[in-house]
Amino acid sequence: MFEYVVFFFFAAVAVIFALVVILHRNPVVSALSLVVSFFSLSVMYVLLDAPFLAVLQVIVYAGAIMVLFLFVIMLLNLQHMSEPATRPIQQFLGYTTSAAFAIGLVYYVIKYAVFTAMPSGPFHTESSAIGVALFESYVFPFEMVSILLLAAIVGALLLSGRTTVRSEVQP
Amino acid sequence: MPFDPTDIALSVVKIAIVLLALLNVTPIMVWVERRGSALIQDRPGPNRVGPFGLFQSFADALKFILKEDIVPQTANKLLYTIAPAIGLLPALTTIAVVPWGRSFTLHDIHLFGRTFFVQPRLFEPIIANVNVGVLVVFALASLSVYGVTVAGWSSNNKYSLFGGIRASAQMISYELALTLAAVSALLAAGSLRLSDVVWRQTGYFVLFDTIKLPAWNCFSPAMWLSMIVFIVSGFAETNRLPFDFAEAEAELVAGYHTEYSSMKFALFFMGEYMAMATMSTLITTLFLGGWDIPWYNEPATFLGFLLSVIAFEVKVSIVLFIFVWVRWTIPRLKYDILMRLGWKVFLPLAVVNIVLVALFILKGWI
Repeated sequence: MFEYVVFFFFAAVAVIFALVVILHRNPVVSALSLVVSFFSLSVMYVLLDAPFLAVLQVIVYAGAIMVLFLFVIMLLNLQHMSEPATRPIQQFLGYTTSAAFAIGLVYYVIKYAVFTAMPSGPFHTESSAIGVALFESYVFPFEMVSILLLAAIVGALLLSGRTTVRSEVQP
Repeated sequence: MPFDPTDIALSVVKIAIVLLALLNVTPIMVWVERRGSALIQDRPGPNRVGPFGLFQSFADALKFILKEDIVPQTANKLLYTIAPAIGLLPALTTIAVVPWGRSFTLHDIHLFGRTFFVQPRLFEPIIANVNVGVLVVFALASLSVYGVTVAGWSSNNKYSLFGGIRASAQMISYELALTLAAVSALLAAGSLRLSDVVWRQTGYFVLFDTIKLPAWNCFSPAMWLSMIVFIVSGFAETNRLPFDFAEAEAELVAGYHTEYSSMKFALFFMGEYMAMATMSTLITTLFLGGWDIPWYNEPATFLGFLLSVIAFEVKVSIVLFIFVWVRWTIPRLKYDILMRLGWKVFLPLAVVNIVLVALFILKGWI
């Protein structure tokens, strides 16, 4: 009973703030709403008996990534820029495409989604279990991902630091 | 999840104790800060209101409440108003996973003509003993950036924006070093639970078969490096003086809270001191043995619990005093030095230290 109350409260919060993200005009408010939405999602992980994933969700998404987003938005200091008026054909195409997508999504969800009860046993999501899995069964993909990320970082440095003569760590 | 009224009542009691203690930190620390700075700078400090100026904090609080609350016309009203609350939230909640005393068994309490705890029950003095313990601390610490950043941006003031941007850059940079430094203590304990970290530190190191030292992490040579990195990063994370670039009076007026007045400013003020208190409890738990009393084996009774809580408070107070001491002794760094220090000194040191501690554990030296 209690779990349902928590679930529906945080599900509602997540959905409402996700809507604020796309509907609000101020990008800073959007970014902050996304943080709230991510935080409510992490509560879902707690309800699923996966506190480790919940905490990672907050650290990685709500903490690290969104701080960078907010940082960039604030530095650019986006104002309410008036967008050029869209042509009728563009509006028509936009509405049709999104309607088609929505109908398809609902159709496939109803057709293929399986509404079953929660899995009975707890997930094995303790930090030690995840660590053992990462460094034993999945050690090769894990190392590949780290190399990929390193390549991405080097690429980003190369792309952004081309014009500057000295590349210090910028604030 | 079955509802157990006794469990809920105990949790409420624990939350009340911790929150009251945390809320009382601010007035006491304001007094310590002002009198301590006066002591260090060889002047009397506030000594008029009450004995030793002890009631100065009440006067301050009264002043905060009575001042006019000004919202700048060009500010973003919504964000400007909620920013202090966003800043206060992580500072208030982080302490939930820190153990503040030795657990003991409750039984047979006679109250209001009824007997409680006929079934003996273990009382754990920690609000949430979750198995991801310290990660919760870092998750909430990563959210504490938002209060400062949003305050700086929504004020619509150049100095505020600079303060907010500097603070967020600084907190992101030092968070990494802080996390990596904490890893060594966790490695030694083999657990993410902070209560396990404390249990690991009860006991003794015996030097030359004669000298008994408490087995606190700060007495273990492998931990010294990580302790230094953790404490320095903790100073940076809480925006305390050698690293208080968020408000650097000399260059930014008052940084991110330039435009704030009255109770909104007071919330930032409280948040800063609570974050400091939380950081002190973390330093105590990870490196100074938590609630362990040296050379004394606390019994698992109410007395042992009380003594351990007092020991914990004493240690936290000492760390808090060091915060004040450092603030009035070491001048502010330059901003580029701060960033260079964070990325090029403390981060590599923390990584090296993890390898060192792992080696020590592998060899069985810890």
